[in-house]
Amino acid sequence: MAVNSAKAMFWRLIFSALRLRLQRVLIIFAALTVGASIVTAMAAVYFDINTKMSQELRTFGANFYIGSSSSGLINEREIKQILHHAPPALITAASPYLYGVARADLEKIVLMGVWFEDMRTLAPYWQINGSAIGVNFDQRNAMIGKTLAERLNIKVGSKITLSKNAVEKHTFNIKAIVESGDATDNMLIVSLEFAQDWLEKDGLVTNALLNVKNDQGQVEQFAARLQQRYPDLEIRPIRKVSASEGQILDKIKGLMGLISLVILVLATLCVNTTLIAIVGERAKEFALQKALGARPQDIIRQIGTEILIIAICAIVAGLIIGYLLAQVLGITVFKAYIDMRLPVIPITVLLSLIVAFIAVIVPTRRALQIQMANVLKGE
Amino acid sequence: MTNYVIETQHLYKRFGQVTALEDINIQIAEGEFVAIMGASGSGKTTLMNILTGLDTASAGKVMLDGIDAAQLDESGRQRFRAEKIGLVFQQFHLIPYLTALENVMLAQHYHSVVDEAAAKAVLQQVGLEHRIDHRPSQLSGGEQQRVCIARALVNQPPVIFADEPTGNLDEKNEKLVLDLLTTLNRQGRTVVMVTHNPELGKLTDRTIFLQHGKFLREEHNHS
Repeated sequence: MAVNSAKAMFWRLIFSALRLRLQRVLIIFAALTVGASIVTAMAAVYFDINTKMSQELRTFGANFYIGSSSSGLINEREIKQILHHAPPALITAASPYLYGVARADLEKIVLMGVWFEDMRTLAPYWQINGSAIGVNFDQRNAMIGKTLAERLNIKVGSKITLSKNAVEKHTFNIKAIVESGDATDNMLIVSLEFAQDWLEKDGLVTNALLNVKNDQGQVEQFAARLQQRYPDLEIRPIRKVSASEGQILDKIKGLMGLISLVILVLATLCVNTTLIAIVGERAKEFALQKALGARPQDIIRQIGTEILIIAICAIVAGLIIGYLLAQVLGITVFKAYIDMRLPVIPITVLLSLIVAFIAVIVPTRRALQIQMANVLKGE
Repeated sequence: MTNYVIETQHLYKRFGQVTALEDINIQIAEGEFVAIMGASGSGKTTLMNILTGLDTASAGKVMLDGIDAAQLDESGRQRFRAEKIGLVFQQFHLIPYLTALENVMLAQHYHSVVDEAAAKAVLQQVGLEHRIDHRPSQLSGGEQQRVCIARALVNQPPVIFADEPTGNLDEKNEKLVLDLLTTLNRQGRTVVMVTHNPELGKLTDRTIFLQHGKFLREEHNHS
């Protein structure tokens, strides 16, 4: 078929060239598609991971908070009532917490009174060096946060003595050193009963943390019901991902970024190598075009348009495949579908175009540097 | 006074320490059919590359249709090649994925305006009006060379340069191509042909002999 305009001639050149080297074009398409798919999947998970992780983590450790709405102390009896009236098997673990300052041998320290028995469920992320205390009424043993232990030079098996005045003293045997990654690292963990007694807060607690079953989203309903019944309390599910969990998120995000980067670098290298091979094969073609009067910008426009067409097709395919890949990741890891957030598309488009642009620089320079006389003579 | 379409003055070309062309001074008049001959390594292809703007001279003047090609920058040489030169190669150099017509139109594309009618006319002139939609792989060597000549003609350049135009052809196609070049010359076109074949040289008006990069002599072939 004949063509009439310069534009039609240009597009004829482009599409004919792509069709002639379909195998190599498919390699470039595949490399860019893999890059775009991974970026799409990773970006989709990246932007949705906070929601999905917090949903996941809501069933991990304490996921329910009860405290005073006026930032004062609350009555332990109310906590016990709540636990007592809760539907059977809804609450899997619970502990009131009482915080207060006490004097140790060398300095003032923070006491944290808890029910030891449920701490494994409420704080499964605690790394315990030594033996965890397993009974609520243990007043001879205590656990200590790692930072505080280092500061006081306390080891497992050491003793720590609290003194209230010249007469009242209480000595604990340290059974374990706890590393939690949060403020607990600076506290002495004792039984709630002892803390109430020592801090003279009988029957009072600062707050309570619970682990509530949430396989059908019952936490929200349970909180709403309790809030209605106890208006003077602040009752809510724990939505916020804690600091240590946030660190995990950051690491996962970093890992996803690294994977994307590696894939993109590999895609760039693959596209670059294939394009260099294509330019080598088309050396005579480019030399002829230059001999016929093609300007450098004509050659750049031709190669650039070819790679742009391949990149656009790869981006469309990559967005679709990446979306499906994200769903596979979501179902596998979070048991939920990943929502495709708006920034994912521009990020994929931009990164894919950057990859294509970087990959095309060297081959284009080579095409422009072709020595017409030598190439056309067959040297 | 003779109107020279090509004139070189003290033309030199050096590749590092090697002097490929040394003090070449030639003139080619408008409408002349000239052969440049010499043994391998005599510098004939180097001379043609410089005359056609595919390469640059180390020193000297290269006047073609009133323009000193030696003074042009890359962009100027690109326009020079598109407007002043028609190139015919030994190896044809047709774009494999374009038809005969499109290969001719490619020269128009880089020159100015694509004109299908003009491209068809020039293919008709070389006797290929029935092969316009064929790709190079579907054409014989002689036909490919005639497409190459049509491409060289389509922009009406003042000079056609042919580098060993029959080097890859059999006897029958060689005659066809030479007849075509001779006809074009008789129609008033200046043709410069590089060849190593003395028999072909004799078919032209004048033969310029080069040896070791220097002008050796010239022979007028028709009385």
